[in-house]
Amino acid sequence: MVSKKKKKYSTGEGAQFITRKAALKKLQLSLKDFRRICILKGIYPREPRNRKRAQKGAGGIKTLYHTKDIKFLLHEPIIWKLRELKAYQQKIRKARAQREYRKMRQYFRDYPEINIDHVVKERYPTFVDALRDLDDCLTLCFLFSTFPSLKKVPRDQSLLCRRLTVEFMHAVIAAKALRKVFVSVKGYYYQCELEGQIITWIVPHHFAFQPQSKDEVDFKIMSTFVEFYIMMLGFVNFKLFHSLNLVYPPKLTAAFNSETEKDLVDERAYVAERIAAMNLSLAKIAGSNEAEELPEIDIFDTEDKDPQKLEEAKLEAEKVKKLKTMFKGLKFFINREVPRESLVFIIRCFGGEVSWDRDHFVGATFDESDESIAYQIVDRPSMDKQYLSRYYVQPQWVFDSVNARSLLPINKYLMGATLPPHLSPFVDKTRDQVYMPPEQKALNDPNFKPLNDDDPSDEEIEEASDEDNEAKSEPEDAEEALTRQYQQEVEQDSPSEDEEDDEKKKLAKEKKKAMAVTTGVPHKENPYQIQIEDKQAFRLREKLVRKKHRNLYKSMKAGQENRKKEIWLLRKKRRLHDERVKEDKKAEKRTQKKQALEAALNIK
Amino acid sequence: MLVTIQNHYPMLDNLNPKLYRPNKPGSGCGPPIARVCTIPAPPEGAIQLIGPFEELFVLDTKGNEVEIKEDVKPDIKPLSAKQQKRAKLAETPKCFEVLLPRSKVPDPNAKRNTVKKVGSRATDLSKLSEKRQLAKGILQRKLELMKKDKKLAVEKRKKAQSVRETYDKNIWEQDDLESKGIPETLVDDFISTEAQLHNVPITRRLRSKPPPPKTVVTRAAVEVPHPGVSYNPSFKEHQELLQEVVQHEQKMMKREAHLYRVTTGLFSKVTPKEKEENWREEMSAGLPQPHNPATDPDPEDEPADNEYKAVNPPVRNKKKDHKTRRKQKERLAEREVLKRKKIDKQKITDIYKLRKIQASVSKKEDLDAESRVKRTSKRLQHAATALPALNAHKTPVREPEFVDPKLLTGDLRKISGSGNLLRDRFQSLQRRGALAASKIMMTKRKKLKKYFKPGHKVTDQDVDNFLKRSAAKDH
Repeated sequence: MVSKKKKKYSTGEGAQFITRKAALKKLQLSLKDFRRICILKGIYPREPRNRKRAQKGAGGIKTLYHTKDIKFLLHEPIIWKLRELKAYQQKIRKARAQREYRKMRQYFRDYPEINIDHVVKERYPTFVDALRDLDDCLTLCFLFSTFPSLKKVPRDQSLLCRRLTVEFMHAVIAAKALRKVFVSVKGYYYQCELEGQIITWIVPHHFAFQPQSKDEVDFKIMSTFVEFYIMMLGFVNFKLFHSLNLVYPPKLTAAFNSETEKDLVDERAYVAERIAAMNLSLAKIAGSNEAEELPEIDIFDTEDKDPQKLEEAKLEAEKVKKLKTMFKGLKFFINREVPRESLVFIIRCFGGEVSWDRDHFVGATFDESDESIAYQIVDRPSMDKQYLSRYYVQPQWVFDSVNARSLLPINKYLMGATLPPHLSPFVDKTRDQVYMPPEQKALNDPNFKPLNDDDPSDEEIEEASDEDNEAKSEPEDAEEALTRQYQQEVEQDSPSEDEEDDEKKKLAKEKKKAMAVTTGVPHKENPYQIQIEDKQAFRLREKLVRKKHRNLYKSMKAGQENRKKEIWLLRKKRRLHDERVKEDKKAEKRTQKKQALEAALNIK
Repeated sequence: MLVTIQNHYPMLDNLNPKLYRPNKPGSGCGPPIARVCTIPAPPEGAIQLIGPFEELFVLDTKGNEVEIKEDVKPDIKPLSAKQQKRAKLAETPKCFEVLLPRSKVPDPNAKRNTVKKVGSRATDLSKLSEKRQLAKGILQRKLELMKKDKKLAVEKRKKAQSVRETYDKNIWEQDDLESKGIPETLVDDFISTEAQLHNVPITRRLRSKPPPPKTVVTRAAVEVPHPGVSYNPSFKEHQELLQEVVQHEQKMMKREAHLYRVTTGLFSKVTPKEKEENWREEMSAGLPQPHNPATDPDPEDEPADNEYKAVNPPVRNKKKDHKTRRKQKERLAEREVLKRKKIDKQKITDIYKLRKIQASVSKKEDLDAESRVKRTSKRLQHAATALPALNAHKTPVREPEFVDPKLLTGDLRKISGSGNLLRDRFQSLQRRGALAASKIMMTKRKKLKKYFKPGHKVTDQDVDNFLKRSAAKDH
């Protein structure tokens, strides 16, 4: 008896994947619905290892899905809902065709909604999982919050995006979670840290809505993504507010209530409302304590006993702590020409108070005439009326201060000054083995003192010393010569006395040596010896590197050496260049002096 | 004269043609002038045709002018298939015809009473009870209840609709069993977990989902921006960014040039002049050409004698004799011996050269290992950054952002938006493998022809303006 022949592609990669068309047939869904449910449930097309086998021998590139994914979808209750919706849509279509508009309106009114909150929990089993995936969600929600109602985007979606984003910003303000800001031409990059997760998102600059060309982006798909992200962001907000002891939903300005949505047609008015909403302080849950401070970092005995790392971590924590209360108690006033949204958010994040012109925008808390204002943010070359009690700075000072994690000296950011470049805080800190010219170092680290600073006082001192040197080299001055001679004589005299002393000491030593008992000498460690021993131990440890990693280690070391060498070379070049410049300067000065002297002599 | 004999016995047409027999002349059947004389003689035993000639035959005076009957078509369109089906709908289906009364006996009860449902008509009793209920206020209460119910239904509907906008629970608070697909009725303290899992309906089976693709998980959603895209970048960083853009652009240009070279550039173009010449040559093929002495065949080339010489003369299979065979064999054997000797000699020299060979082998191995490491690292790097191929369409490559130095004012107020953030997000999703790359199909709009509706106040100037404007719009 011959065993039954095995069919081709019934096992292995051929059975593992399913084409999109087959999936549609299996799920009995239209392509539109399938796309929607895939996005909602987080099911993505797959790239097989062997395409030919995965496509069961068919050529070309087909969109493939994991069979298990499709089976998983098969048991999703939303699918039944989608099928119901299909019937419902048919009813609407029929009513429209039969011109029963009253019925149609009724159908539209009772249009069933799909509830997807169980999907959020299913895709993100823990809160941290949700936070980890918040980058995309926030960027899209902030983007959609600027959109007017479009054809493919449901009407309430952008309104909801507006509400949720403001709520999220409030949560970040309350948690003091913002860490980095970067103003690019594309928009504002923000980075915050919530529950140990680092979240980065982009907020577009606020322009009037630019019409999107339809052939670039599929709005329907993006809108479906936003549909899910809205759900997710809502629940994340709820959880964040409750963990911060705040009432959810917060009572924001009237613009965010559903009743008045239609009244705010004007985009500018809306933006003003949004900023005003951000300037509100939120209601705390009754009976909750004031925000508890995070305790100091405890040092545990971990296997990683590198004291340097621990020290670094401690320093970092200290810096972050300082950053959180950077603007505490400071009052800021924003001039009307400055884009306010990002500034209000940042200043409030670090504990500052903000206000603006009461006549132009809603939501101002104090007036410009308030004497307690510490900083006024201006973006114009000059102002007529200035208060002595405050600093007038440009907006970039705020961004750079946040990135430097301390209040920067304002002298470079004063009104009308040419600003230093706005550097990105998102550079890779691990790539520290690169040459950095002293100018850049000074920009990155405000405490950095270059060796040859351009400060005028320094220069003067240098000049003075130069003059000294010159004087030494020119023994024309009689007085100078006399004093030098005196000094030399003194020096000549002194050694003879010393010699006598030495002889006495020697004698005493010899006497002491003759005695038997000596006082105990504390063992002194030779630091040089220790260094040598450490080096030897390190080499031994290097020998213990596994064969598997040896090559990698070697290449890493070689790379380090190379980079060091490069840095050294560049530094040397710089040093030589600087010296040459200095020499040139000196020579020039000397010639100038000479000329002046000659001129003076000639006059005489 | 043309005589057509008309058949006055149409019934005869139906007769069997075998039985036809032409009339013999002289049997009084008719003159031979008749072109067609197809009056058959009745077969034996059939009806005897009796009567004079005139009765049987009529002189045809009309000839070929056969009266053309006008086809008066009824002015009704033929029904379409759909309409025919529609029409049939009204008819009683054949299968039900059996059920219809076919009896000729009429219904003995000519006027039957219509029976009304109970409660459809107010009876005396109901009238009484209604009166009593009204007096007691029961009806009033019922009305109120009805109103209340309606209100509740509306509220419920509204609440169900605004479910997206109310986030009123912490979904991560406890391990929610409902999210696992366990029905609400089973979520209770008194029901054991085994029972809960056992009773999970088939439609909501707990199924493990395979982990999402690596590209979706590992690739960052928001990429770290290049420091040169700052609104007020340092000179060095901005130059770096521009360098990147230039390199990218050069790469693209090189690729484009390559594509041109291997596709369009492969084929030479025919210039109009060449085309004209070709045409002339083709069209004049075979025509007598004017005598050109340069093209005359060279008299020296051709052989003088007229002997025939085949272009491909036949080859004769000449048999080799014994001597040649033997010599060939000997040659082969000698060659073989020499080869052997050479190999043996090589063996001996190889023994002496062993160290050198070893060195070369180890060198080769080292080189191979090195190249293997390089290849693997390259493959890994490619796998980490390769764009996913999920579709026949290609995923767009990430392009470095170009910031025009002219637009860099270093002023927050004067930032002009560059790039499309939405498109960036869309392409980022595609690059991460969350979406298959696609080409968006645009539905074409119908082109409507525009007319200017003339009126008494419209001047020619107006019409011209309109035409100009519409022309500008089209372009």
